[in-house]
Amino acid sequence: MKIKINAESVDKIRIVAIIIVSLFVIVTGTLWSLNSFAKGDIAGAVTGGLIAITILVFAIFVYMRGNKDLREGYPLKDERSGRVLEKASSKAFYVSLYLLLAVGFLSSEGIIKFRDVSQAISLSMGGMAILFAVFWAYYHRKEI
Amino acid sequence: MKTRIKELRARYDFTQEDLAKKVGVRRETIVFLEKGKYNPSLRLAHDIARILKTRIDELFIFEDN
Repeated sequence: MKIKINAESVDKIRIVAIIIVSLFVIVTGTLWSLNSFAKGDIAGAVTGGLIAITILVFAIFVYMRGNKDLREGYPLKDERSGRVLEKASSKAFYVSLYLLLAVGFLSSEGIIKFRDVSQAISLSMGGMAILFAVFWAYYHRKEI
Repeated sequence: MKTRIKELRARYDFTQEDLAKKVGVRRETIVFLEKGKYNPSLRLAHDIARILKTRIDELFIFEDN
């Protein structure tokens, strides 16, 4: 038996999924921040806190906008927004490869000094997230 | 690419919101379509043409060089 799920239900599930993933990231960021603070690592505490606050703001924005769109009868995602997301994520991925290459080179040459591997990974992940946001904002306004 | 969406939408007294809801897209997609800044899928072009009671080739005008 095939169960049919309408587009509105899919959008509601999508909002709930985004909120759950966001909550995981907020909890992880908060734990990272508290743990770093307890060890006296102020940079780690600030980074973890910033991640938690950024994701919290993002989750509130997604929840409010998503609910408003659903109430007004618009889909959460349509073919244009999907295409923007695809282009932004693929470009962010390609450019972040160069970013990782540059980080690796600068680190091996001693130009950038990382405390440990987790700090290098955090910087790279932050860079990828910023690149994605920049490309999304660009393609959101551009002819595609 | 030029479109006649705005002209035909006005003829049937549809707002951008009305048309967006009828074809199941977000309002900004209709805005970009009317500006000629978005190439829709064949499915969306077909749906808009059907709602505006016209043909796809009358709705979207491609200017050859």
